[in-house]
Amino acid sequence: MEFLNLVVIFATAYLVLRKPEKERTAFRLLVFSVLLMVFLFSMATRTGLLPGVNY
Amino acid sequence: MRRNALYSTLALAVLLLAVIPIGVAVFLLGFIYGDSPCVMCWEQRIGMALVALIGLFVLRYGPKPKYIGLAVLVAAWGVFMGIRHTGMHAARDVGQGFSAEILGAHTYTWALFIYWVCVATMGVLLLMTKKEDIEDEPRTLTPLESLAGVVFLVVIAGNIVQAFASTGPPPFMGQGDPVRFSFAPSHWVWSLDEWSPAPISLRGRWAIDKPSLEAVPVDPVSGPIARVPVIPVKQQFTIGFPIAGTPTDLAYDPATAQFLVTTQRGIYLADETLAKMNRYTVVDVGFSVDLGRFGGGAFLDKGAVLAVGENKSYVLLRPNDKADAGANFRYFLESFDKFDEMSRSRFGTVRARMMYVMSAAYDPATNSIYTVTVPNNKVKRLVLSRFDRRDMTLSEEFSLTVGAASGLELSGERTLDEFVVTGATIADGRMYAISAAYNTLLTIDLATHTVIAAHAIPGLARPTGIAVKGDDLYIVGENGVIWVVGRE
Repeated sequence: MEFLNLVVIFATAYLVLRKPEKERTAFRLLVFSVLLMVFLFSMATRTGLLPGVNY
Repeated sequence: MRRNALYSTLALAVLLLAVIPIGVAVFLLGFIYGDSPCVMCWEQRIGMALVALIGLFVLRYGPKPKYIGLAVLVAAWGVFMGIRHTGMHAARDVGQGFSAEILGAHTYTWALFIYWVCVATMGVLLLMTKKEDIEDEPRTLTPLESLAGVVFLVVIAGNIVQAFASTGPPPFMGQGDPVRFSFAPSHWVWSLDEWSPAPISLRGRWAIDKPSLEAVPVDPVSGPIARVPVIPVKQQFTIGFPIAGTPTDLAYDPATAQFLVTTQRGIYLADETLAKMNRYTVVDVGFSVDLGRFGGGAFLDKGAVLAVGENKSYVLLRPNDKADAGANFRYFLESFDKFDEMSRSRFGTVRARMMYVMSAAYDPATNSIYTVTVPNNKVKRLVLSRFDRRDMTLSEEFSLTVGAASGLELSGERTLDEFVVTGATIADGRMYAISAAYNTLLTIDLATHTVIAAHAIPGLARPTGIAVKGDDLYIVGENGVIWVVGRE
């Protein structure tokens, strides 16, 4: 899934640099990447979502 | 001029972010040294890439609020990821950690720092931004800004290669314990482990319930030790003075012929018949070391009185008829002129770290303090911890086994970890531990770490403490009743 996210990030950067008129598409891809990152980190830490320290 | 400075600063920030953490991580640590990120490291690295990517958005489209807002959100999430990841290893011994170390700190620690720098940098850039900087049309990039973009693409391309080798295409996902990076496909491990069902929790293994006797089983016959002999109660009476709360432990000091009764916050010294109270105080358990509820108490050397919280924090008091009531306002809630506070601190443990205690005992022979753990919803182990009185530091920790010569036998697959020891006292090298679970008195040889005797005591109701006085054991219950049994 990290591979997918990095491909999306690459594509987004390419749009920003080479096809600036596609701002709306690039922003949507950016938001998708952010949400995917948050989801994957939460998946990886779901057995203890908060920092694993003494409370 | 000012606007050029703003965008040049941002372009440099994007370049730095792309090259130093993300580029070095993939090209130097990954491709050359074989470092492979774990699943959390991957997300932290991707988060940095996203912050840099948003920087490219700003370079191209200007500092629109939606870009600035998203950048702050991602960086704030990054700080959280850094704390979450660092927290897993923060309490380990010096030098220990996970995976690679850079300049004396492990990589996930650096992630926390880098995200913090990102947030601070955004603050600086926002200070430099004015309303007229918001562009209506895409900007034409300067050579420096274009360089930042190209470098970013190269770094991301490198990460794509590493991610394909290390984590695989969807639905494969990063791993908790990744394999060393290699360009050889035969060494690639693609895993779906992170998709496996697992319980969702906020605090994870730290979500441990406070100890409670509400649901503990009491019938000795159903306990883990088979055929426990019964020991008769010689005498039964009720504590003869009023106390605030319920008793949590009992101790006896032959030198002063006094009993100590602790309650959740109270410390009471009574005569040797428990009919008359000599002095008391109620400790302010907050605003300093959090003492929680007292679970155990003991007399130490020279008349000092120790009260141990269920969380293994403790307060050490010394009786004083001339105590300064004004000075003691900060320590006590009632009876300010009967004790002086000597110290207030915490016992640190290893095996008992994830468990509470409901007992404390002092062994004059070894000048040591003992605590005994009670099982909880996460960890069920009976662990005795010994602390040296001289520095109040952990000196020994052990679990118990049934002594071979005791004649005792565990039922089936049952274990001693099922006992809930709520009181302990020591005499002649033996610990007498009363368990509220199965109303059983355990006699423990502290030298061999074995249970050498066990007795059921009929009629006990939630025992919470035990003291040795001569040849007798005094057991106190939650309701203030004292049961006296002979010491064997």
